[in-house]
Amino acid sequence: MHLPDGLMPVEMALAGYAGSGLLATISLSRIKRLPDPSSVVPRAAMLTTVFFAASLVAIPVPPTTVHLMLAGLLGVMLGWFAIPAILVGLFLQAVLFGHGGLTTLGLNGLILGLPALLAFGLWRSAGRRWPDLVALCAGSGAVVLALVIFAALVLAGMPAALDARAEQAALWVFMLAHLPLVLAEGLIVLVVLRVLRRTAPQLLPHG
Amino acid sequence: MSVRCKSALLLGLALVVTAPPAALSHAAIMEAEVTQAIRLHAFYETGEPMSQAQVFIYAPDDPAQVWGQGIADMQGRYEFIPDAIAGRWSVQVRQAGHGVMAHLDIGADAPVMTISSTPDTWAQRALMVALVAWGALGTALFARSRKGKQDASA
Repeated sequence: MHLPDGLMPVEMALAGYAGSGLLATISLSRIKRLPDPSSVVPRAAMLTTVFFAASLVAIPVPPTTVHLMLAGLLGVMLGWFAIPAILVGLFLQAVLFGHGGLTTLGLNGLILGLPALLAFGLWRSAGRRWPDLVALCAGSGAVVLALVIFAALVLAGMPAALDARAEQAALWVFMLAHLPLVLAEGLIVLVVLRVLRRTAPQLLPHG
Repeated sequence: MSVRCKSALLLGLALVVTAPPAALSHAAIMEAEVTQAIRLHAFYETGEPMSQAQVFIYAPDDPAQVWGQGIADMQGRYEFIPDAIAGRWSVQVRQAGHGVMAHLDIGADAPVMTISSTPDTWAQRALMVALVAWGALGTALFARSRKGKQDASA
Protein backbone atom coordinates (compact mmCIF):
# COMPACT_ATOMS: atom_id res chain seq x y z
CA MET A 1 0.00 0.00 0.00
CA HIS A 2 2.37 2.64 -1.28
CA LEU A 3 1.48 5.73 -3.27
CA PRO A 4 3.59 5.68 -6.45
CA ASP A 5 5.28 8.57 -8.22
CA GLY A 6 3.27 10.63 -10.66
CA LEU A 7 -0.23 10.14 -9.25
CA MET A 8 -0.38 12.70 -6.48
CA PRO A 9 -0.41 16.51 -6.90
CA VAL A 10 2.88 18.29 -6.21
CA GLU A 11 1.37 20.30 -3.34
CA MET A 12 0.30 17.12 -1.57
CA ALA A 13 3.70 15.52 -2.10
CA LEU A 14 5.37 18.58 -0.55
CA ALA A 15 2.90 18.57 2.34
CA GLY A 16 3.71 14.88 2.85
CA TYR A 17 7.41 15.69 3.10
CA ALA A 18 6.64 18.45 5.61
CA GLY A 19 4.49 16.08 7.70
CA SER A 20 7.01 13.26 7.63
CA GLY A 21 9.83 15.70 8.38
CA LEU A 22 7.92 16.91 11.42
CA LEU A 23 7.29 13.33 12.56
CA ALA A 24 10.97 12.47 12.11
CA THR A 25 12.07 15.57 14.05
CA ILE A 26 9.74 14.78 16.95
CA SER A 27 10.83 11.14 16.94
CA LEU A 28 14.54 11.96 16.94
CA SER A 29 14.14 14.46 19.77
CA ARG A 30 12.24 11.83 21.78
CA ILE A 31 14.91 9.23 21.01
CA LYS A 32 17.61 11.62 22.28
CA ARG A 33 15.78 11.86 25.59
CA LEU A 34 15.86 8.07 26.09
CA PRO A 35 18.30 6.93 28.82
CA ASP A 36 20.15 4.56 26.45
CA PRO A 37 19.07 5.06 22.84
CA SER A 38 21.94 3.03 21.35
CA SER A 39 20.58 -0.13 23.00
CA VAL A 40 17.57 -0.03 20.64
CA VAL A 41 19.67 0.46 17.48
CA PRO A 42 20.34 -3.27 16.84
CA ARG A 43 16.64 -4.08 17.16
CA ALA A 44 15.70 -1.11 14.97
CA ALA A 45 18.20 -2.17 12.29
CA MET A 46 16.89 -5.73 12.15
CA LEU A 47 13.22 -4.73 12.18
CA THR A 48 13.89 -2.21 9.41
CA THR A 49 15.08 -5.12 7.27
CA VAL A 50 12.01 -7.17 8.16
CA PHE A 51 9.77 -4.23 7.23
CA PHE A 52 11.71 -3.66 4.00
CA ALA A 53 11.43 -7.32 2.94
CA ALA A 54 7.80 -7.72 4.04
CA SER A 55 6.55 -5.69 1.08
CA LEU A 56 7.82 -8.41 -1.25
CA VAL A 57 5.48 -11.00 0.22
CA ALA A 58 2.38 -10.64 -1.94
CA ILE A 59 -0.65 -12.40 -0.50
CA PRO A 60 -3.34 -13.08 -3.11
CA VAL A 61 -6.75 -11.85 -1.95
CA PRO A 62 -8.96 -11.97 -5.07
CA PRO A 63 -9.43 -9.81 -7.04
CA THR A 64 -6.20 -8.19 -5.89
CA THR A 65 -3.11 -8.91 -3.81
CA VAL A 66 -2.02 -7.39 -0.54
CA HIS A 67 1.30 -7.28 1.26
CA LEU A 68 2.32 -7.02 4.89
CA MET A 69 2.81 -3.53 6.34
CA LEU A 70 4.05 -4.32 9.88
CA ALA A 71 3.49 -0.74 11.05
CA GLY A 72 1.87 -2.05 14.23
CA LEU A 73 4.74 -4.42 14.96
CA LEU A 74 7.32 -1.69 14.43
CA GLY A 75 5.37 0.73 16.60
CA VAL A 76 5.10 -1.71 19.49
CA MET A 77 8.67 -3.06 19.24
CA LEU A 78 10.52 0.17 18.46
CA GLY A 79 8.45 3.02 19.84
CA TRP A 80 9.80 6.34 18.51
CA PHE A 81 12.47 4.45 16.56
CA ALA A 82 9.65 3.19 14.30
CA ILE A 83 9.53 6.49 12.38
CA PRO A 84 13.18 6.51 11.18
CA ALA A 85 12.93 2.75 10.59
CA ILE A 86 9.85 3.19 8.37
CA LEU A 87 11.35 6.14 6.46
CA VAL A 88 14.59 4.25 5.78
CA GLY A 89 12.65 1.14 4.72
CA LEU A 90 10.38 3.13 2.41
CA PHE A 91 13.36 4.91 0.86
CA LEU A 92 15.10 1.61 0.13
CA GLN A 93 11.89 0.09 -1.28
CA ALA A 94 11.44 3.07 -3.59
CA VAL A 95 15.06 3.15 -4.78
CA LEU A 96 15.70 -0.58 -5.12
CA PHE A 97 12.30 -1.93 -6.17
CA GLY A 98 10.36 1.09 -7.40
CA HIS A 99 7.83 0.24 -4.69
CA GLY A 100 6.19 3.54 -3.80
CA GLY A 101 8.13 6.56 -5.00
CA LEU A 102 10.62 9.21 -4.06
CA THR A 103 8.19 12.09 -4.58
CA THR A 104 5.60 10.31 -2.43
CA LEU A 105 8.06 9.21 0.25
CA GLY A 106 6.68 11.80 2.67
CA LEU A 107 3.06 10.76 2.11
CA ASN A 108 3.92 7.08 2.44
CA GLY A 109 5.83 7.91 5.61
CA LEU A 110 2.65 9.40 7.05
CA ILE A 111 0.52 6.44 5.88
CA LEU A 112 2.68 4.01 7.85
CA GLY A 113 4.29 6.27 10.47
CA LEU A 114 1.12 7.55 12.11
CA PRO A 115 -0.33 4.01 12.55
CA ALA A 116 3.00 2.90 14.05
CA LEU A 117 2.75 5.70 16.59
CA LEU A 118 -0.86 4.72 17.32
CA ALA A 119 0.29 1.15 18.04
CA PHE A 120 3.11 2.50 20.22
CA GLY A 121 0.68 4.68 22.15
CA LEU A 122 -1.74 1.80 22.67
CA TRP A 123 1.00 -0.52 23.89
CA ARG A 124 2.54 2.09 26.14
CA SER A 125 -0.75 3.03 27.77
CA ALA A 126 -2.31 -0.40 28.29
CA GLY A 127 0.21 -3.04 27.23
CA ARG A 128 1.09 -4.10 30.76
CA ARG A 129 -2.51 -4.60 31.84
CA TRP A 130 -3.91 -6.44 28.81
CA PRO A 131 -0.91 -7.50 26.74
CA ASP A 132 -2.70 -9.91 24.39
CA LEU A 133 -5.69 -7.71 23.69
CA VAL A 134 -3.55 -4.61 23.21
CA ALA A 135 -1.13 -6.47 20.92
CA LEU A 136 -4.02 -7.60 18.74
CA CYS A 137 -5.57 -4.13 18.68
CA ALA A 138 -2.22 -2.45 17.97
CA GLY A 139 -1.47 -4.67 14.96
CA SER A 140 -4.99 -4.57 13.53
CA GLY A 141 -5.64 -0.93 14.37
CA ALA A 142 -2.45 0.13 12.60
CA VAL A 143 -3.61 -1.49 9.35
CA VAL A 144 -7.06 0.08 9.63
CA LEU A 145 -5.58 3.54 10.24
CA ALA A 146 -3.13 3.10 7.36
CA LEU A 147 -6.04 2.16 5.06
CA VAL A 148 -8.05 5.18 6.16
CA ILE A 149 -5.14 7.59 5.62
CA PHE A 150 -4.33 6.02 2.24
CA ALA A 151 -7.95 6.30 1.04
CA ALA A 152 -8.26 9.87 2.33
CA LEU A 153 -5.09 10.93 0.50
CA VAL A 154 -6.17 9.23 -2.74
CA LEU A 155 -9.60 10.88 -2.61
CA ALA A 156 -8.10 14.27 -1.75
CA GLY A 157 -5.61 14.07 -4.60
CA MET A 158 -7.95 12.88 -7.34
CA PRO A 159 -7.57 14.89 -10.55
CA ALA A 160 -10.71 16.42 -12.06
CA ALA A 161 -10.47 14.22 -15.16
CA LEU A 162 -10.67 11.02 -13.10
CA ASP A 163 -13.96 9.15 -12.95
CA ALA A 164 -14.53 9.64 -9.22
CA ARG A 165 -17.20 6.94 -8.90
CA ALA A 166 -15.05 4.30 -10.58
CA GLU A 167 -12.08 5.25 -8.41
CA GLN A 168 -14.17 5.14 -5.23
CA ALA A 169 -15.54 1.71 -6.19
CA ALA A 170 -12.00 0.46 -6.84
CA LEU A 171 -10.89 1.89 -3.49
CA TRP A 172 -13.69 0.03 -1.69
CA VAL A 173 -12.64 -3.25 -3.32
CA PHE A 174 -9.03 -2.51 -2.37
CA MET A 175 -9.93 -1.80 1.25
CA LEU A 176 -12.18 -4.85 1.59
CA ALA A 177 -9.35 -7.00 0.22
CA HIS A 178 -7.23 -5.80 3.14
CA LEU A 179 -9.64 -7.08 5.81
CA PRO A 180 -7.78 -10.42 6.18
CA LEU A 181 -4.57 -8.43 6.59
CA VAL A 182 -6.16 -6.48 9.46
CA LEU A 183 -6.60 -9.74 11.34
CA ALA A 184 -3.27 -11.21 10.21
CA GLU A 185 -1.19 -8.25 11.39
CA GLY A 186 -2.97 -8.25 14.75
CA LEU A 187 -2.11 -11.93 15.13
CA ILE A 188 1.52 -11.32 14.08
CA VAL A 189 2.00 -8.73 16.85
CA LEU A 190 0.23 -11.02 19.33
CA VAL A 191 2.38 -14.05 18.44
CA VAL A 192 5.67 -12.12 18.41
CA LEU A 193 5.02 -10.60 21.83
CA ARG A 194 3.88 -13.94 23.27
CA VAL A 195 7.02 -15.66 22.00
CA LEU A 196 9.19 -12.90 23.45
CA ARG A 197 7.37 -13.13 26.77
CA ARG A 198 8.19 -16.83 27.00
CA THR A 199 11.67 -16.94 25.54
CA ALA A 200 13.26 -13.53 26.05
CA PRO A 201 11.20 -11.32 28.36
CA GLN A 202 14.06 -8.81 28.58
CA LEU A 203 13.36 -7.91 24.93
CA LEU A 204 9.72 -7.07 25.59
CA PRO A 205 9.02 -3.41 24.89
CA HIS A 206 7.40 -1.49 27.70
CA GLY A 207 7.55 2.09 26.45
CA MET B 1 -50.26 22.69 -66.32
CA SER B 2 -52.65 19.89 -66.90
CA VAL B 3 -54.27 17.87 -64.18
CA ARG B 4 -52.25 14.79 -65.24
CA CYS B 5 -48.98 16.70 -64.97
CA LYS B 6 -49.94 18.06 -61.52
CA SER B 7 -50.82 14.56 -60.34
CA ALA B 8 -47.50 13.17 -61.60
CA LEU B 9 -45.60 16.00 -59.88
CA LEU B 10 -47.42 15.46 -56.56
CA LEU B 11 -46.84 11.70 -56.77
CA GLY B 12 -43.11 12.23 -57.37
CA LEU B 13 -42.87 14.68 -54.48
CA ALA B 14 -44.71 12.27 -52.19
CA LEU B 15 -42.33 9.44 -53.12
CA VAL B 16 -39.29 11.59 -52.34
CA VAL B 17 -40.68 12.76 -48.98
CA THR B 18 -41.90 9.36 -47.80
CA ALA B 19 -38.90 7.36 -49.02
CA PRO B 20 -37.06 5.62 -46.12
CA PRO B 21 -33.72 7.22 -45.21
CA ALA B 22 -31.86 3.99 -45.94
CA ALA B 23 -32.84 4.29 -49.52
CA LEU B 24 -30.80 7.49 -49.73
CA SER B 25 -27.58 5.77 -48.60
CA HIS B 26 -27.09 3.23 -51.32
CA ALA B 27 -23.74 4.74 -52.06
CA ALA B 28 -21.56 3.66 -49.12
CA ILE B 29 -18.22 5.34 -48.71
CA MET B 30 -15.21 4.13 -46.82
CA GLU B 31 -11.94 5.81 -46.19
CA ALA B 32 -9.15 3.56 -44.97
CA GLU B 33 -5.65 4.48 -43.94
CA VAL B 34 -2.77 2.69 -42.36
CA THR B 35 -1.91 4.36 -39.10
CA GLN B 36 0.12 3.81 -35.98
CA ALA B 37 -1.76 2.65 -32.90
CA ILE B 38 -0.37 2.34 -29.38
CA ARG B 39 -1.27 -0.79 -27.46
CA LEU B 40 -0.78 -0.74 -23.69
CA HIS B 41 -0.75 -3.57 -21.23
CA ALA B 42 -0.88 -2.50 -17.58
CA PHE B 43 -0.41 -4.98 -14.79
CA TYR B 44 0.76 -5.07 -11.19
CA GLU B 45 4.19 -6.36 -10.30
CA THR B 46 2.60 -9.62 -9.22
CA GLY B 47 1.40 -10.14 -12.81
CA GLU B 48 -2.24 -9.34 -12.05
CA PRO B 49 -3.76 -7.22 -14.84
CA MET B 50 -5.01 -3.74 -13.99
CA SER B 51 -8.55 -4.66 -15.02
CA GLN B 52 -10.73 -1.71 -15.96
CA ALA B 53 -8.15 0.79 -14.76
CA GLN B 54 -8.51 4.38 -15.91
CA VAL B 55 -6.15 5.50 -18.68
CA PHE B 56 -5.04 9.10 -19.26
CA ILE B 57 -3.05 10.20 -22.29
CA TYR B 58 -1.02 13.42 -22.51
CA ALA B 59 0.22 14.77 -25.85
CA PRO B 60 3.71 16.29 -26.23
CA ASP B 61 2.43 19.74 -27.23
CA ASP B 62 0.37 20.19 -24.04
CA PRO B 63 1.49 17.75 -21.38
CA ALA B 64 -0.55 19.48 -18.66
CA GLN B 65 -3.90 18.73 -20.34
CA VAL B 66 -5.46 15.31 -20.81
CA TRP B 67 -5.45 14.55 -24.56
CA GLY B 68 -7.57 11.45 -24.22
CA GLN B 69 -8.84 9.02 -21.65
CA GLY B 70 -10.50 5.63 -21.42
CA ILE B 71 -10.86 2.40 -19.51
CA ALA B 72 -8.58 -0.62 -19.88
CA ASP B 73 -10.20 -3.98 -20.59
CA MET B 74 -10.30 -6.90 -18.17
CA GLN B 75 -6.74 -7.88 -19.15
CA GLY B 76 -5.48 -4.36 -18.51
CA ARG B 77 -5.09 -3.64 -22.24
CA TYR B 78 -5.89 -0.38 -23.99
CA GLU B 79 -5.31 0.91 -27.51
CA PHE B 80 -5.31 4.41 -28.94
CA ILE B 81 -4.22 6.16 -32.10
CA PRO B 82 -2.15 9.27 -31.35
CA ASP B 83 -2.27 12.42 -33.43
CA ALA B 84 0.64 13.11 -35.76
CA ILE B 85 2.55 15.02 -33.10
CA ALA B 86 6.13 13.93 -32.73
CA GLY B 87 7.61 13.92 -29.26
CA ARG B 88 7.12 12.30 -25.90
CA TRP B 89 3.61 11.10 -25.17
CA SER B 90 2.77 10.24 -21.58
CA VAL B 91 0.28 7.63 -20.54
CA GLN B 92 -0.94 7.15 -17.00
CA VAL B 93 -2.87 4.11 -15.83
CA ARG B 94 -4.34 4.30 -12.35
CA GLN B 95 -6.69 2.39 -10.12
CA ALA B 96 -7.46 2.71 -6.40
CA GLY B 97 -4.47 4.95 -5.69
CA HIS B 98 -2.05 2.67 -7.51
CA GLY B 99 -0.78 3.15 -11.00
CA VAL B 100 2.03 3.77 -13.39
CA MET B 101 3.18 6.50 -15.74
CA ALA B 102 4.89 5.48 -19.00
CA HIS B 103 6.38 7.66 -21.71
CA LEU B 104 6.37 6.91 -25.42
CA ASP B 105 8.70 8.63 -27.83
CA ILE B 106 6.91 8.93 -31.15
CA GLY B 107 9.01 10.35 -33.94
CA ALA B 108 8.35 11.13 -37.58
CA ASP B 109 10.60 8.37 -38.80
CA ALA B 110 11.66 6.62 -35.61
CA PRO B 111 9.89 3.57 -34.31
CA VAL B 112 7.77 3.85 -31.21
CA MET B 113 9.81 3.28 -28.10
CA THR B 114 8.33 2.57 -24.73
CA ILE B 115 10.09 3.77 -21.62
CA SER B 116 8.97 2.06 -18.49
CA SER B 117 10.58 0.15 -15.68
CA THR B 118 10.92 -3.57 -16.13
CA PRO B 119 9.93 -5.79 -13.23
CA ASP B 120 12.81 -7.27 -11.25
CA THR B 121 13.39 -10.99 -11.24
CA TRP B 122 13.15 -12.89 -7.97
CA ALA B 123 16.91 -13.43 -8.00
CA GLN B 124 17.50 -9.67 -8.20
CA ARG B 125 15.04 -9.07 -5.41
CA ALA B 126 16.56 -11.73 -3.19
CA LEU B 127 20.02 -10.24 -3.76
CA MET B 128 18.86 -6.74 -2.84
CA VAL B 129 17.06 -7.98 0.28
CA ALA B 130 20.21 -9.89 1.28
CA LEU B 131 22.32 -6.76 0.81
CA VAL B 132 19.97 -4.67 2.92
CA ALA B 133 19.86 -7.41 5.58
CA TRP B 134 23.66 -7.49 5.56
CA GLY B 135 23.76 -3.73 6.06
CA ALA B 136 21.25 -3.92 8.91
CA LEU B 137 23.14 -6.77 10.55
CA GLY B 138 26.35 -4.75 10.32
CA THR B 139 24.62 -1.75 11.87
CA ALA B 140 23.21 -3.91 14.65
CA LEU B 141 26.58 -5.54 15.42
CA PHE B 142 28.38 -2.19 15.29
CA ALA B 143 25.93 -0.63 17.75
CA ARG B 144 26.17 -3.66 20.00
CA SER B 145 29.97 -3.78 20.04
CA ARG B 146 30.16 -0.04 20.69
CA LYS B 147 27.77 -0.40 23.61
CA GLY B 148 29.83 -3.33 24.93
CA LYS B 149 33.01 -1.22 24.84
CA GLN B 150 31.25 1.65 26.64
CA ASP B 151 29.99 -0.74 29.33
CA ALA B 152 33.48 -2.24 29.74
CA SER B 153 35.13 1.17 30.06
CA ALA B 154 32.56 2.26 32.61
